[in-house]
Amino acid sequence: MIAKTIAWLDERLDLSDIRHFVEEKGVPIHAQKVWYYLGGMTLFLLGVQIFTGILLLLYYRPSAAEAYESVQFIVTRVKFGWLIRNIHSWSANLLIGLAFAHFFSVFFLKSYRKPRELTWVSGIILLFLMLGFGFSGYLLPWNELSFFATKVGTGIAGAVPVVGHFTLRVLRGGDDVTGATLSRFYGLHVAILPAITTALVALHLLFVQRQGMSVPIAVEQKLKPGEKLRQMPFFPNYILRDVLAWYIVIAVLAALAAFYPWELGRKADPFAVVPPGIRPEWYFLATFHTLKLIPSHVFGLEGERLGVVGFGLVALFLVAVPFLDRRSSRGERSPLFTAMAIAGLGYLIVFTILGHYAK
Amino acid sequence: MRTVWLFAALLVAAVPVRAQSAGQNSCLTCHSTQTDKRLSTPTQLFTQTDIHRENGFACVDCHGGNAAESDKARSHDAARGFRGKPAGQQQIAACARCHGDAELMKRYAPKQRVDQATEYATSVHGKRLATGDGNVATCASCHGAHGVRRVSDAKSPVFPTNVANTCAVCHASPVHMKDYKKADGSPLPTTQLADYQKSVHFRALTKGNDLSAPTCNDCHGNHGAAPPGVGAVAKVCGTCHTIFAQKFEKSVHNELFEKGCVECHSNHAILKPSDDMLGTSGHGICATCHTAGDKNDKGTLGADRMRADIDALKAGIETSSALIERVKNAGIEVSDQELALREASTKLTLARTEMHAFVPEQLDPIVADGAKIVAAAQRAGQDGEAELKYRRTGLAVSLAAILFVVVALAVKIKSLG
Repeated sequence: MIAKTIAWLDERLDLSDIRHFVEEKGVPIHAQKVWYYLGGMTLFLLGVQIFTGILLLLYYRPSAAEAYESVQFIVTRVKFGWLIRNIHSWSANLLIGLAFAHFFSVFFLKSYRKPRELTWVSGIILLFLMLGFGFSGYLLPWNELSFFATKVGTGIAGAVPVVGHFTLRVLRGGDDVTGATLSRFYGLHVAILPAITTALVALHLLFVQRQGMSVPIAVEQKLKPGEKLRQMPFFPNYILRDVLAWYIVIAVLAALAAFYPWELGRKADPFAVVPPGIRPEWYFLATFHTLKLIPSHVFGLEGERLGVVGFGLVALFLVAVPFLDRRSSRGERSPLFTAMAIAGLGYLIVFTILGHYAK
Repeated sequence: MRTVWLFAALLVAAVPVRAQSAGQNSCLTCHSTQTDKRLSTPTQLFTQTDIHRENGFACVDCHGGNAAESDKARSHDAARGFRGKPAGQQQIAACARCHGDAELMKRYAPKQRVDQATEYATSVHGKRLATGDGNVATCASCHGAHGVRRVSDAKSPVFPTNVANTCAVCHASPVHMKDYKKADGSPLPTTQLADYQKSVHFRALTKGNDLSAPTCNDCHGNHGAAPPGVGAVAKVCGTCHTIFAQKFEKSVHNELFEKGCVECHSNHAILKPSDDMLGTSGHGICATCHTAGDKNDKGTLGADRMRADIDALKAGIETSSALIERVKNAGIEVSDQELALREASTKLTLARTEMHAFVPEQLDPIVADGAKIVAAAQRAGQDGEAELKYRRTGLAVSLAAILFVVVALAVKIKSLG
């Protein structure tokens, strides 16, 4: 049946290019190849997010008066609504976790080196977009925690020099977090970010397909002149492994959704006293805690503003890594950038833990 | 002596009052340069924040004399009404000259009462002053003499959060209070502030920022300050705790409790009431009069029964609330049950209120209604748990299917090499 369908399509569309690509495409075999699966798993979770997000859209109402109630309706009255909402929430967190893991694996393996600079740049922007999805989606249930965390988060955006106040007003739709902020975050979450993400994911995948999988420098250096690394066929050998990983992700997601339902909390009340222990989602904790630790004034400059500028510079540095790491682009080992990756990972882990336990 | 003071007060009152325009004020010029702090401090305070100065009043409006004269003798001329530092009844009269004048006060504070002096005369302070006791509080003792602020000013010594400390200046001083006795001849205690600071009222006022929470003057009166007499305590408490007072008034204890509410709740150190206070066991204060375990004492039986009823309803609400919260967070619809449990909590509050009538039979229907609601919520919660179990079973089946596919894929991958 499948063969007949393909033949039918081939007759009309000439699929020989695609068939040739699928038959010829190979994936290098080496000890580090396990890291290749992280990108596929992240992409799979993005698909889960889109699917569950579309289902949630059927019932969600983006207004301060109805948002909370509509989510409550989804999880309590809609058939399997609880499952869809729980999967969407858990999948969002797993997606960001896997995106970070993918980012660090590429960083450590120096897969960003020439000629894959643009793949890295598109990937870094995608990572930031995922954080944007997390930040905008967090407010949508309009509960107490998300309301006050958004207040703090958008306040930090307001500390950006020169454009800070403008950014804060654009994000909030005014001076404070209100129903207008919810509408904006909704628009950002379901239209603007998905549109940009779709284009960038397509570009990212195009780059990966055009250039093939990167081979770690250490593996390359061990090859004798003229020797080629063994490859496995992408189809079906590699794709089956990818599907296996996706199934494991589904199992983890389903278990989390059923055993650890994502709490809805209390409806946001702008006039309520700020509840204790307000903190952002785990993936912003390190940044948040760092900003908390910076003194209010450093060398006469406002501490928070300095911190925000610092994080901006780190983001720019990350985008520019392939262009700065000259050694790896020459195919040489690059211990300085490995040390930076270790320091970055260590910082994120330590400060996330500190931020979690901070009062 | 009283006649002399009254005459002096009338004399002062007879002097017409006007807010002097800001012209030459030799009082400030001279007093501000005095090395004796007693003479210079008033000018400092008066020229900073002072409601009277802000409204155009000057030193001579209270002290008399002539501010236009720079010579001490001429400015302090008794013929120009100079009376120095008004004290005792003279001070009351000096303040009342304006604050007792309804016509005048309309121009400055139309909503302010003008009977402070009359009230003061009925207070313990006023009565003792009339007998010649110069040690008691007069207007300036609480409001200050110079640098007087509006009562609504948070820095005013009579702002609600400051009242207790202002009263305590005298009432917490064993030296100041040593000559004062209660009606029965026992010494007047000086622990009121320390006791009050332990109370639920103090916490509400200072920690809960509830300015309507009572402080000294809310129970004792301010200008007419006096301890509530025997039999009046329930009425004083009932000003805010209306329903409790109504229940208590009809109860058997109304006749028996000399100090009314104070018998169980204390006066200044009123702690947050708890259910533990009821009954004869544990911390139950009914045991003060009723013997624990005495099956022939109707009071013991009634108190213990009411306690058991309230405890049972409270425990039921707690258990059901925890169950409902658990299933709610797991995604089960329980908003109706949440509403019902709020109704059960209202019944618990009603039972706690009704208890002040000390008739166990009156509690029964209230507690029974509450228990019915709790039982329904409990059933709904258990249904919710069953639904959760069903979901988890469904998940286990799904996981088994996924695991099967994973194993099949692994086998296939292995076969491909």
